[in-house]
Amino acid sequence: MTPSLLASAVRVFDLSLGQMLWSRRSIFLGLLLGGPVVLALALRIISSLYGLPINGAQPEGATIFGMMVWLLYIRFIVPILGVFYGTALIADEVEDKTITYLFTRPIPRSAVLLGKYLAYLVCTVLLVLPSVMLVFFLIAPTGGSSVAAAFPSLLADFAMLIMGLASYGAVFALVGTRLKRPLVVGLVYAFGWEPAVLLFPGYLKRLTVMYYLQALVTHEMPQDSAVSMVLQLFREVPAIPTSLVSLAVIIAVTLWGAGRAVEQREYVLEQ
Amino acid sequence: MTAIVAADHLSKWYGQVIGLNDVTVTVPAGITGLLGPNGAGKSTFMKLVTGQLKPSKGTITVLGEPIWGNPALYHRIGFCPEQDSFYERMTGLEWVTALVRLNGVADAAAAAMGARAIETVELTDAANKKIGAYSKGMRQRIKLAQALAHDPELLILDEPLAGMDPIARRRTIRLIKDWGRAGKSILVSSHILHEIESMTANILLINQGRILAEGNVHQIRELIDEHPHTVHIKADRTRALAREFLAHDDVLSLRLEEGAVVVQTGRPDAFYARLTDLAASGEHGTIHEVTSPDDNLQAVFQYLVKS
Repeated sequence: MTPSLLASAVRVFDLSLGQMLWSRRSIFLGLLLGGPVVLALALRIISSLYGLPINGAQPEGATIFGMMVWLLYIRFIVPILGVFYGTALIADEVEDKTITYLFTRPIPRSAVLLGKYLAYLVCTVLLVLPSVMLVFFLIAPTGGSSVAAAFPSLLADFAMLIMGLASYGAVFALVGTRLKRPLVVGLVYAFGWEPAVLLFPGYLKRLTVMYYLQALVTHEMPQDSAVSMVLQLFREVPAIPTSLVSLAVIIAVTLWGAGRAVEQREYVLEQ
Repeated sequence: MTAIVAADHLSKWYGQVIGLNDVTVTVPAGITGLLGPNGAGKSTFMKLVTGQLKPSKGTITVLGEPIWGNPALYHRIGFCPEQDSFYERMTGLEWVTALVRLNGVADAAAAAMGARAIETVELTDAANKKIGAYSKGMRQRIKLAQALAHDPELLILDEPLAGMDPIARRRTIRLIKDWGRAGKSILVSSHILHEIESMTANILLINQGRILAEGNVHQIRELIDEHPHTVHIKADRTRALAREFLAHDDVLSLRLEEGAVVVQTGRPDAFYARLTDLAASGEHGTIHEVTSPDDNLQAVFQYLVKS
Protein backbone atom coordinates (compact mmCIF):
# COMPACT_ATOMS: atom_id res chain seq x y z
CA MET A 1 0.00 0.00 0.00
CA THR A 2 1.23 3.47 -0.86
CA PRO A 3 1.91 5.54 2.28
CA SER A 4 -0.27 8.62 2.81
CA LEU A 5 0.84 12.07 1.69
CA LEU A 6 1.66 13.16 5.23
CA ALA A 7 3.44 9.93 6.22
CA SER A 8 5.50 10.11 3.04
CA ALA A 9 6.25 13.79 3.62
CA VAL A 10 7.50 13.04 7.14
CA ARG A 11 9.91 10.45 5.71
CA VAL A 12 11.17 12.86 3.08
CA PHE A 13 11.55 15.40 5.89
CA ASP A 14 13.73 12.92 7.83
CA LEU A 15 15.89 12.38 4.77
CA SER A 16 16.20 16.08 3.93
CA LEU A 17 16.64 17.91 7.23
CA GLY A 18 20.25 16.88 7.84
CA GLN A 19 21.18 17.65 4.24
CA MET A 20 19.57 21.07 4.47
CA LEU A 21 21.03 21.97 7.87
CA TRP A 22 24.60 21.25 6.84
CA SER A 23 24.36 22.71 3.35
CA ARG A 24 26.55 25.59 2.18
CA ARG A 25 23.38 27.68 1.95
CA SER A 26 22.69 27.20 5.65
CA ILE A 27 26.24 28.07 6.59
CA PHE A 28 26.10 31.24 4.51
CA LEU A 29 22.70 32.30 5.82
CA GLY A 30 23.77 31.36 9.35
CA LEU A 31 26.58 33.90 8.96
CA LEU A 32 24.05 36.46 7.70
CA LEU A 33 22.03 35.85 10.86
CA GLY A 34 25.11 36.75 12.87
CA GLY A 35 24.73 40.32 11.55
CA PRO A 36 21.89 41.37 13.87
CA VAL A 37 23.74 39.80 16.82
CA VAL A 38 26.85 41.85 16.05
CA LEU A 39 24.68 44.96 15.70
CA ALA A 40 22.93 44.20 19.00
CA LEU A 41 26.28 43.71 20.71
CA ALA A 42 27.50 47.06 19.38
CA LEU A 43 24.28 48.77 20.53
CA ARG A 44 24.63 47.19 23.95
CA ILE A 45 28.19 48.46 24.31
CA ILE A 46 27.27 51.96 23.08
CA SER A 47 24.23 51.98 25.33
CA SER A 48 26.22 51.07 28.40
CA LEU A 49 28.91 53.65 27.60
CA TYR A 50 26.93 56.60 26.26
CA GLY A 51 23.23 55.71 26.30
CA LEU A 52 21.10 55.39 23.16
CA PRO A 53 19.08 58.55 22.72
CA ILE A 54 16.71 58.63 19.70
CA ASN A 55 15.32 62.12 19.02
CA GLY A 56 16.49 63.13 22.48
CA ALA A 57 14.67 60.36 24.35
CA GLN A 58 16.04 57.06 25.64
CA PRO A 59 13.85 54.29 24.17
CA GLU A 60 13.23 51.13 26.11
CA GLY A 61 15.21 48.04 25.14
CA ALA A 62 11.97 46.24 24.24
CA THR A 63 11.17 48.97 21.70
CA ILE A 64 14.59 48.74 20.07
CA PHE A 65 14.26 44.96 20.00
CA GLY A 66 10.85 45.28 18.36
CA MET A 67 12.29 47.58 15.69
CA MET A 68 15.12 45.17 15.04
CA VAL A 69 12.73 42.24 14.72
CA TRP A 70 10.57 44.13 12.26
CA LEU A 71 13.22 45.85 10.19
CA LEU A 72 15.99 43.25 10.18
CA TYR A 73 14.24 39.93 10.56
CA ILE A 74 10.73 40.32 9.13
CA ARG A 75 11.49 42.84 6.39
CA PHE A 76 14.87 41.44 5.35
CA ILE A 77 16.07 38.11 6.74
CA VAL A 78 12.80 36.15 6.61
CA PRO A 79 12.14 36.97 2.93
CA ILE A 80 15.80 36.22 2.12
CA LEU A 81 15.53 32.81 3.79
CA GLY A 82 12.22 32.19 2.04
CA VAL A 83 13.64 33.07 -1.37
CA PHE A 84 16.87 31.11 -1.07
CA TYR A 85 15.42 27.95 0.44
CA GLY A 86 11.88 28.04 -0.96
CA THR A 87 12.86 28.39 -4.61
CA ALA A 88 15.45 25.60 -4.19
CA LEU A 89 13.30 22.93 -2.52
CA ILE A 90 13.08 20.81 -5.67
CA ALA A 91 15.71 22.65 -7.75
CA ASP A 92 18.53 21.52 -5.45
CA GLU A 93 17.60 17.86 -5.89
CA VAL A 94 17.32 18.35 -9.65
CA GLU A 95 20.68 20.10 -9.81
CA ASP A 96 22.32 17.39 -7.66
CA LYS A 97 20.51 14.73 -9.76
CA THR A 98 19.28 13.04 -6.59
CA ILE A 99 15.62 13.71 -7.41
CA THR A 100 15.52 10.38 -9.27
CA TYR A 101 15.83 8.45 -6.01
CA LEU A 102 12.79 10.26 -4.57
CA PHE A 103 10.63 10.17 -7.69
CA THR A 104 11.09 6.41 -8.19
CA ARG A 105 9.68 5.52 -4.77
CA PRO A 106 6.02 4.71 -4.06
CA ILE A 107 5.15 8.14 -2.73
CA PRO A 108 3.25 11.00 -4.34
CA ARG A 109 5.64 13.53 -5.84
CA SER A 110 3.88 16.26 -3.89
CA ALA A 111 5.02 14.48 -0.70
CA VAL A 112 8.60 15.21 -1.76
CA LEU A 113 7.78 18.90 -1.94
CA LEU A 114 5.86 18.87 1.34
CA GLY A 115 8.60 16.95 3.17
CA LYS A 116 11.24 19.31 1.92
CA TYR A 117 9.09 22.30 2.84
CA LEU A 118 8.78 20.96 6.40
CA ALA A 119 12.55 20.46 6.49
CA TYR A 120 12.99 24.06 5.29
CA LEU A 121 10.72 25.30 8.06
CA VAL A 122 12.56 23.45 10.82
CA CYS A 123 15.96 24.32 9.36
CA THR A 124 15.23 28.05 9.10
CA VAL A 125 13.57 28.18 12.54
CA LEU A 126 16.70 26.55 13.98
CA LEU A 127 18.81 29.18 12.22
CA VAL A 128 16.70 32.21 13.14
CA LEU A 129 15.71 31.52 16.73
CA PRO A 130 19.21 31.49 18.29
CA SER A 131 19.97 34.77 16.54
CA VAL A 132 16.73 36.37 17.80
CA MET A 133 17.30 35.06 21.33
CA LEU A 134 20.80 36.52 21.46
CA VAL A 135 19.58 39.86 20.14
CA PHE A 136 16.79 39.84 22.73
CA PHE A 137 19.10 39.17 25.68
CA LEU A 138 21.55 41.80 24.48
CA ILE A 139 19.00 44.54 23.78
CA ALA A 140 16.04 43.94 26.12
CA PRO A 141 17.83 44.99 29.35
CA THR A 142 18.86 48.39 27.92
CA GLY A 143 16.96 51.67 28.44
CA GLY A 144 15.42 50.59 31.74
CA SER A 145 13.52 47.55 30.34
CA SER A 146 13.56 44.24 32.12
CA VAL A 147 14.01 40.89 30.38
CA ALA A 148 11.11 39.39 32.34
CA ALA A 149 8.69 42.14 31.31
CA ALA A 150 9.69 41.92 27.65
CA PHE A 151 9.67 38.12 27.50
CA PRO A 152 6.01 37.66 26.45
CA SER A 153 6.60 39.87 23.43
CA LEU A 154 9.59 37.68 22.51
CA LEU A 155 7.25 34.69 22.29
CA ALA A 156 4.88 36.68 20.09
CA ASP A 157 7.83 37.65 17.89
CA PHE A 158 8.84 34.01 17.59
CA ALA A 159 5.32 33.13 16.45
CA MET A 160 5.38 35.99 13.94
CA LEU A 161 8.77 34.89 12.59
CA ILE A 162 7.60 31.30 12.18
CA MET A 163 4.47 32.51 10.40
CA GLY A 164 6.65 34.68 8.14
CA LEU A 165 9.01 31.80 7.35
CA ALA A 166 6.08 29.48 6.65
CA SER A 167 4.36 32.00 4.36
CA TYR A 168 7.39 33.13 2.38
CA GLY A 169 8.67 29.56 2.10
CA ALA A 170 5.37 28.41 0.61
CA VAL A 171 5.11 31.38 -1.78
CA PHE A 172 8.65 30.86 -3.03
CA ALA A 173 8.16 27.10 -3.27
CA LEU A 174 5.41 27.90 -5.77
CA VAL A 175 7.70 30.33 -7.60
CA GLY A 176 10.46 27.69 -7.63
CA THR A 177 8.28 24.99 -9.13
CA ARG A 178 6.37 27.10 -11.65
CA LEU A 179 8.71 29.75 -13.00
CA LYS A 180 12.03 29.99 -14.78
CA ARG A 181 14.68 32.06 -12.95
CA PRO A 182 12.84 31.68 -9.64
CA LEU A 183 15.59 33.31 -7.59
CA VAL A 184 15.40 36.55 -9.57
CA VAL A 185 11.60 36.53 -9.52
CA GLY A 186 11.64 35.84 -5.78
CA LEU A 187 14.06 38.65 -4.99
CA VAL A 188 12.09 41.10 -7.15
CA TYR A 189 8.89 40.06 -5.39
CA ALA A 190 10.34 40.32 -1.87
CA PHE A 191 12.41 43.46 -2.26
CA GLY A 192 10.76 45.24 -5.17
CA TRP A 193 7.08 44.47 -5.36
CA GLU A 194 6.22 44.14 -1.67
CA PRO A 195 7.96 47.29 -0.33
CA ALA A 196 6.67 49.36 -3.26
CA VAL A 197 3.06 48.24 -2.99
CA LEU A 198 2.96 48.66 0.78
CA LEU A 199 3.80 52.34 0.45
CA PHE A 200 0.60 53.19 -1.40
CA PRO A 201 -3.07 52.97 -0.55
CA GLY A 202 -5.23 50.49 -2.43
CA TYR A 203 -5.91 46.80 -2.73
CA LEU A 204 -2.64 45.67 -4.29
CA LYS A 205 -0.99 45.42 -0.87
CA ARG A 206 -3.35 42.55 -0.12
CA LEU A 207 -1.32 40.56 -2.62
CA THR A 208 1.70 40.67 -0.32
CA VAL A 209 2.69 38.51 2.62
CA MET A 210 4.07 41.52 4.47
CA TYR A 211 0.67 43.22 4.64
CA TYR A 212 -0.67 40.40 6.78
CA LEU A 213 2.53 39.97 8.78
CA GLN A 214 2.59 43.59 9.91
CA ALA A 215 -0.68 43.03 11.73
CA LEU A 216 1.11 40.57 13.97
CA VAL A 217 3.66 43.13 15.18
CA THR A 218 3.14 43.60 18.90
CA HIS A 219 5.65 46.37 19.47
CA GLU A 220 4.94 50.08 19.39
CA MET A 221 7.22 51.76 16.84
CA PRO A 222 8.54 55.30 17.40
CA GLN A 223 6.29 57.61 15.33
CA ASP A 224 7.87 60.99 15.90
CA SER A 225 9.78 61.45 12.66
CA ALA A 226 8.20 63.18 9.68
CA VAL A 227 8.58 60.16 7.41
CA SER A 228 7.03 57.73 9.86
CA MET A 229 4.13 60.14 10.44
CA VAL A 230 3.45 60.28 6.67
CA LEU A 231 3.78 56.54 6.31
CA GLN A 232 1.39 56.07 9.20
CA LEU A 233 -1.30 57.90 7.20
CA PHE A 234 -1.20 55.12 4.57
CA ARG A 235 -0.67 52.28 6.97
CA GLU A 236 -3.67 50.07 6.85
CA VAL A 237 -3.33 47.01 9.06
CA PRO A 238 -5.79 44.11 8.99
CA ALA A 239 -7.08 42.57 12.20
CA ILE A 240 -4.97 39.78 13.69
CA PRO A 241 -7.53 36.99 13.01
CA THR A 242 -7.89 38.20 9.41
CA SER A 243 -4.12 38.16 9.02
CA LEU A 244 -3.73 34.70 10.50
CA VAL A 245 -6.48 33.25 8.32
CA SER A 246 -5.09 35.03 5.23
CA LEU A 247 -1.57 33.74 5.86
CA ALA A 248 -2.91 30.22 6.41
CA VAL A 249 -4.78 30.46 3.09
CA ILE A 250 -1.64 31.78 1.34
CA ILE A 251 0.38 28.84 2.71
CA ALA A 252 -2.25 26.25 1.78
CA VAL A 253 -2.92 27.60 -1.72
CA THR A 254 0.70 28.14 -2.70
CA LEU A 255 1.80 24.74 -1.38
CA TRP A 256 -1.07 23.09 -3.23
CA GLY A 257 -0.05 24.90 -6.42
CA ALA A 258 3.58 23.92 -5.95
CA GLY A 259 2.59 20.31 -5.28
CA ARG A 260 0.49 20.20 -8.45
CA ALA A 261 3.40 21.59 -10.45
CA VAL A 262 5.76 18.92 -9.13
CA GLU A 263 3.21 16.17 -9.86
CA GLN A 264 2.77 17.24 -13.46
CA ARG A 265 6.21 18.43 -14.45
CA GLU A 266 8.88 16.32 -16.13
CA TYR A 267 12.36 16.88 -14.76
CA VAL A 268 14.94 16.22 -17.47
CA LEU A 269 18.32 15.82 -15.81
CA GLU A 270 21.44 16.89 -17.68
CA GLN A 271 23.61 13.88 -18.51
CA MET B 1 5.41 -14.93 -22.29
CA THR B 2 4.36 -12.13 -19.90
CA ALA B 3 5.46 -8.65 -20.98
CA ILE B 4 7.37 -6.83 -18.28
CA VAL B 5 7.52 -3.63 -20.30
CA ALA B 6 5.30 -2.94 -23.31
CA ALA B 7 5.74 0.15 -25.47
CA ASP B 8 3.25 0.90 -28.21
CA HIS B 9 4.21 3.53 -30.79
CA LEU B 10 6.10 5.27 -28.03
CA SER B 11 7.72 8.59 -28.88
CA LYS B 12 9.40 11.20 -26.76
CA TRP B 13 10.71 14.51 -27.93
CA TYR B 14 12.32 17.40 -26.12
CA GLY B 15 11.22 20.49 -28.01
CA GLN B 16 12.53 19.91 -31.53
CA VAL B 17 14.82 17.05 -30.51
CA ILE B 18 13.56 13.49 -30.85
CA GLY B 19 14.63 11.26 -27.96
CA LEU B 20 12.63 8.19 -28.92
CA ASN B 21 10.85 7.67 -32.22
CA ASP B 22 7.74 5.48 -32.60
CA VAL B 23 9.03 2.51 -30.62
CA THR B 24 6.87 -0.57 -30.33
CA VAL B 25 8.56 -3.23 -28.27
CA THR B 26 7.81 -5.88 -25.66
CA VAL B 27 10.33 -6.76 -22.98
CA PRO B 28 9.82 -10.33 -21.72
CA ALA B 29 10.44 -11.62 -18.18
CA GLY B 30 14.05 -12.48 -17.38
CA ILE B 31 17.15 -10.44 -18.11
CA THR B 32 17.07 -8.10 -21.10
CA GLY B 33 19.95 -5.93 -22.22
CA LEU B 34 19.39 -2.52 -23.78
CA LEU B 35 22.40 -1.80 -25.94
CA GLY B 36 23.19 1.38 -27.79
CA PRO B 37 25.81 4.10 -28.17
CA ASN B 38 25.72 7.50 -26.50
CA GLY B 39 22.67 9.50 -27.57
CA ALA B 40 20.90 6.43 -28.96
CA GLY B 41 17.85 6.92 -26.74
CA LYS B 42 18.74 4.42 -23.98
CA SER B 43 18.39 6.95 -21.18
CA THR B 44 15.16 8.33 -22.61
CA PHE B 45 13.74 4.80 -22.80
CA MET B 46 14.89 4.06 -19.22
CA LYS B 47 13.32 7.30 -17.99
CA LEU B 48 10.05 6.46 -19.69
CA VAL B 49 10.13 2.94 -18.24
CA THR B 50 10.74 4.35 -14.75
CA GLY B 51 8.02 7.00 -15.07
CA GLN B 52 10.37 9.95 -14.86
CA LEU B 53 9.22 11.16 -18.25
CA LYS B 54 5.77 11.22 -19.78
CA PRO B 55 5.37 9.86 -23.32
CA SER B 56 4.89 12.56 -25.97
CA LYS B 57 2.98 10.01 -28.02
CA GLY B 58 2.01 6.36 -27.63
CA THR B 59 1.85 4.36 -24.44
CA ILE B 60 4.14 2.46 -22.12
CA THR B 61 3.11 -0.04 -19.47
CA VAL B 62 5.31 -1.63 -16.85
CA LEU B 63 4.18 -4.87 -15.18
CA GLY B 64 0.86 -4.33 -16.95
CA GLU B 65 0.17 -0.81 -15.66
CA PRO B 66 0.92 2.69 -16.91
CA ILE B 67 3.88 4.05 -14.98
CA TRP B 68 3.54 7.84 -15.32
CA GLY B 69 1.70 9.24 -12.30
CA ASN B 70 1.35 5.78 -10.73
CA PRO B 71 3.60 5.83 -7.64
CA ALA B 72 2.16 2.60 -6.19
CA LEU B 73 3.92 0.71 -9.00
CA TYR B 74 7.31 1.62 -7.53
CA HIS B 75 6.73 -0.97 -4.81
CA ARG B 76 7.40 -3.53 -7.54
CA ILE B 77 10.27 -1.74 -9.26
CA GLY B 78 13.85 -1.01 -8.25
CA PHE B 79 15.81 1.53 -10.24
CA CYS B 80 19.56 2.09 -10.36
CA PRO B 81 20.14 5.34 -12.28
CA GLU B 82 23.18 6.11 -14.37
CA GLN B 83 24.15 9.35 -12.67
CA ASP B 84 26.78 9.32 -9.96
CA SER B 85 24.73 11.40 -7.50
CA PHE B 86 24.18 10.83 -3.80
CA TYR B 87 23.58 12.45 -0.44
CA GLU B 88 27.31 12.50 0.14
CA ARG B 89 27.19 13.22 3.86
CA MET B 90 25.09 10.15 4.65
CA THR B 91 26.57 6.73 5.25
CA GLY B 92 25.68 3.97 2.82
CA LEU B 93 23.45 2.28 5.38
CA GLU B 94 21.67 5.51 6.36
CA TRP B 95 21.00 6.34 2.74
CA VAL B 96 19.66 2.95 1.70
CA THR B 97 17.56 2.73 4.90
CA ALA B 98 16.11 6.21 4.33
CA LEU B 99 15.11 5.29 0.78
CA VAL B 100 13.54 1.99 1.88
CA ARG B 101 11.54 3.93 4.47
CA LEU B 102 9.99 5.85 1.59
CA ASN B 103 8.40 2.55 0.57
CA GLY B 104 6.36 2.69 3.77
CA VAL B 105 8.58 0.23 5.62
CA ALA B 106 8.91 0.73 9.41
CA ASP B 107 12.26 2.02 10.73
CA ALA B 108 13.65 -1.23 12.14
CA ALA B 109 12.57 -3.29 9.16
CA ALA B 110 13.98 -0.68 6.77
CA ALA B 111 17.34 -0.78 8.56
CA ALA B 112 17.37 -4.58 8.34
CA MET B 113 16.45 -4.53 4.64
CA GLY B 114 19.10 -1.89 3.98
CA ALA B 115 21.76 -3.92 5.77
CA ARG B 116 20.76 -7.07 3.86
CA ALA B 117 20.95 -5.28 0.51
CA ILE B 118 24.35 -3.83 1.39
CA GLU B 119 25.52 -7.31 2.32
CA THR B 120 24.27 -8.61 -1.03
CA VAL B 121 26.42 -6.10 -2.89
CA GLU B 122 29.33 -6.91 -0.57
CA LEU B 123 29.64 -3.48 0.99
CA THR B 124 29.02 -4.40 4.63
CA ASP B 125 32.50 -3.26 5.71
CA ALA B 126 31.82 0.21 4.29
CA ALA B 127 28.15 0.42 5.34
CA ASN B 128 28.87 2.99 8.05
CA LYS B 129 31.25 5.11 6.01
CA LYS B 130 30.05 8.30 4.39
CA ILE B 131 29.17 7.87 0.71
CA GLY B 132 31.41 10.84 -0.08
CA ALA B 133 34.39 8.64 0.86
CA TYR B 134 33.37 5.73 -1.41
CA SER B 135 35.30 4.73 -4.52
CA LYS B 136 33.54 4.74 -7.88
CA GLY B 137 32.91 1.00 -7.70
CA MET B 138 31.50 1.26 -4.17
CA ARG B 139 29.21 4.06 -5.28
CA GLN B 140 27.89 1.90 -8.11
CA ARG B 141 27.26 -0.94 -5.67
CA ILE B 142 25.44 1.23 -3.12
CA LYS B 143 23.19 2.42 -5.96
CA LEU B 144 22.44 -1.22 -6.72
CA ALA B 145 21.72 -1.83 -3.02
CA GLN B 146 19.07 0.90 -2.88
CA ALA B 147 17.45 -0.54 -6.03
CA LEU B 148 17.09 -4.05 -4.67
CA ALA B 149 16.62 -3.40 -0.93
CA HIS B 150 12.82 -3.56 -1.05
CA ASP B 151 12.91 -6.83 -3.03
CA PRO B 152 11.24 -5.60 -6.26
CA GLU B 153 9.98 -7.87 -9.05
CA LEU B 154 11.61 -5.73 -11.73
CA LEU B 155 15.08 -4.20 -11.56
CA ILE B 156 15.95 -1.45 -14.00
CA LEU B 157 19.68 -0.87 -14.12
CA ASP B 158 21.08 2.02 -16.16
CA GLU B 159 24.77 1.40 -16.96
CA PRO B 160 25.36 -0.42 -13.65
CA LEU B 161 28.93 -1.45 -14.45
CA ALA B 162 30.19 1.98 -15.51
CA GLY B 163 33.52 2.77 -13.90
CA MET B 164 33.80 -0.41 -11.85
CA ASP B 165 37.13 -2.17 -11.47
CA PRO B 166 37.36 -5.64 -13.07
CA ILE B 167 36.69 -7.56 -9.86
CA ALA B 168 33.66 -5.48 -8.88
CA ARG B 169 32.47 -5.81 -12.47
CA ARG B 170 32.70 -9.60 -12.32
CA ARG B 171 30.93 -9.68 -8.95
CA THR B 172 28.15 -7.42 -10.17
CA ILE B 173 27.59 -9.46 -13.32
CA ARG B 174 27.37 -12.55 -11.11
CA LEU B 175 24.86 -10.78 -8.84
CA ILE B 176 22.68 -9.72 -11.77
CA LYS B 177 22.66 -13.26 -13.11
CA ASP B 178 21.81 -14.58 -9.62
CA TRP B 179 18.87 -12.17 -9.37
CA GLY B 180 17.71 -13.31 -12.79
CA ARG B 181 17.91 -16.94 -11.69
CA ALA B 182 15.99 -16.02 -8.52
CA GLY B 183 13.06 -15.00 -10.74
CA LYS B 184 13.50 -11.26 -10.95
CA SER B 185 13.13 -9.50 -14.25
CA ILE B 186 15.96 -7.16 -15.09
CA LEU B 187 16.29 -4.51 -17.76
CA VAL B 188 19.93 -3.47 -17.96
CA SER B 189 21.42 -0.86 -20.26
CA SER B 190 24.97 -0.56 -21.49
CA HIS B 191 26.97 0.67 -24.44
CA ILE B 192 29.27 -2.35 -24.22
CA LEU B 193 28.10 -5.56 -25.84
CA HIS B 194 30.50 -7.72 -23.86
CA GLU B 195 28.97 -6.55 -20.62
CA ILE B 196 25.45 -7.25 -21.80
CA GLU B 197 26.45 -10.54 -23.36
CA SER B 198 27.91 -11.75 -20.08
CA MET B 199 24.50 -11.30 -18.44
CA THR B 200 22.01 -12.29 -21.11
CA ALA B 201 21.56 -13.31 -24.73
CA ASN B 202 18.37 -11.30 -25.02
CA ILE B 203 19.06 -7.76 -26.19
CA LEU B 204 17.34 -4.70 -27.55
CA LEU B 205 19.55 -2.79 -29.92
CA ILE B 206 18.74 0.92 -29.94
CA ASN B 207 20.10 3.72 -32.06
CA GLN B 208 18.87 7.19 -33.03
CA GLY B 209 15.73 6.75 -30.97
CA ARG B 210 14.64 3.53 -32.67
CA ILE B 211 14.86 -0.13 -31.75
CA LEU B 212 17.02 -1.62 -34.51
CA ALA B 213 16.92 -5.23 -33.46
CA GLU B 214 15.77 -7.43 -30.63
CA GLY B 215 16.44 -10.98 -29.65
CA ASN B 216 19.52 -13.19 -29.58
CA VAL B 217 22.87 -11.55 -29.32
CA HIS B 218 25.07 -13.80 -31.43
CA GLN B 219 24.59 -12.29 -34.89
CA ILE B 220 25.21 -8.82 -33.60
CA ARG B 221 28.14 -10.12 -31.68
CA GLU B 222 29.81 -11.33 -34.84
CA LEU B 223 29.46 -7.90 -36.39
CA ILE B 224 30.87 -6.20 -33.36
CA ASP B 225 33.82 -8.56 -33.18
CA GLU B 226 34.97 -7.29 -36.55
CA HIS B 227 35.59 -3.88 -34.97
CA PRO B 228 38.39 -3.17 -32.50
CA HIS B 229 37.25 -2.50 -28.94
CA THR B 230 38.83 0.28 -26.85
CA VAL B 231 39.32 -0.10 -23.10
CA HIS B 232 40.43 2.69 -20.74
CA ILE B 233 42.08 1.36 -17.56
CA LYS B 234 42.95 3.51 -14.55
CA ALA B 235 45.62 1.80 -12.48
CA ASP B 236 48.55 2.38 -10.13
CA ARG B 237 51.24 0.80 -12.31
CA THR B 238 50.27 1.58 -15.86
CA ARG B 239 53.69 0.83 -17.40
CA ALA B 240 53.81 -2.65 -15.90
CA LEU B 241 50.28 -3.28 -17.14
CA ALA B 242 51.20 -2.02 -20.60
CA ARG B 243 54.16 -4.43 -20.77
CA GLU B 244 51.87 -7.28 -19.77
CA PHE B 245 49.23 -6.35 -22.36
CA LEU B 246 51.77 -6.08 -25.19
CA ALA B 247 52.79 -9.69 -24.64
CA HIS B 248 49.47 -10.80 -26.15
CA ASP B 249 48.58 -10.66 -29.83
CA ASP B 250 44.94 -9.61 -29.32
CA VAL B 251 46.17 -6.14 -28.29
CA LEU B 252 46.16 -4.07 -31.48
CA SER B 253 47.42 -0.78 -30.06
CA LEU B 254 48.19 0.80 -26.73
CA ARG B 255 48.88 4.25 -25.36
CA LEU B 256 49.70 5.61 -21.92
CA GLU B 257 47.85 8.54 -20.37
CA GLU B 258 48.31 10.07 -16.92
CA GLY B 259 47.35 7.30 -14.49
CA ALA B 260 45.75 5.24 -17.22
CA VAL B 261 46.45 2.92 -20.11
CA VAL B 262 44.23 2.84 -23.20
CA VAL B 263 44.13 -0.42 -25.13
CA GLN B 264 42.58 -1.43 -28.45
CA THR B 265 41.85 -5.11 -28.61
CA GLY B 266 40.58 -7.39 -31.37
CA ARG B 267 39.31 -10.01 -28.92
CA PRO B 268 37.53 -8.25 -26.05
CA ASP B 269 36.46 -11.47 -24.31
CA ALA B 270 39.99 -12.75 -23.96
CA PHE B 271 41.23 -9.31 -22.95
CA TYR B 272 38.58 -8.78 -20.23
CA ALA B 273 39.16 -12.28 -18.84
CA ARG B 274 42.89 -11.62 -18.57
CA LEU B 275 42.29 -8.19 -17.07
CA THR B 276 40.06 -9.61 -14.35
CA ASP B 277 42.68 -12.24 -13.48
CA LEU B 278 45.35 -9.53 -13.34
CA ALA B 279 43.21 -7.40 -11.03
CA ALA B 280 42.49 -10.37 -8.78
CA SER B 281 46.16 -11.36 -8.53
CA GLY B 282 47.32 -7.80 -7.82
CA GLU B 283 50.48 -8.71 -9.73
CA HIS B 284 50.72 -5.29 -11.38
CA GLY B 285 49.21 -3.17 -8.63
CA THR B 286 45.63 -2.04 -8.14
CA ILE B 287 43.33 -1.54 -11.13
CA HIS B 288 40.91 1.20 -10.11
CA GLU B 289 38.50 1.67 -12.96
CA VAL B 290 37.75 0.19 -16.37
CA THR B 291 35.68 2.09 -18.90
CA SER B 292 34.96 1.70 -22.56
CA PRO B 293 34.10 4.71 -24.75
CA ASP B 294 30.85 4.86 -26.66
CA ASP B 295 32.54 5.07 -30.04
CA ASN B 296 33.19 1.30 -29.92
CA LEU B 297 29.62 0.72 -30.95
CA GLN B 298 29.22 3.68 -33.24
CA ALA B 299 30.88 2.07 -36.24
CA VAL B 300 28.87 -1.09 -35.78
CA PHE B 301 25.61 0.81 -35.61
CA GLN B 302 26.49 2.79 -38.73
CA TYR B 303 27.10 -0.53 -40.46
CA LEU B 304 23.79 -1.96 -39.20
CA VAL B 305 21.79 1.05 -40.31
CA LYS B 306 23.35 0.93 -43.80
CA SER B 307 22.89 -2.83 -44.25
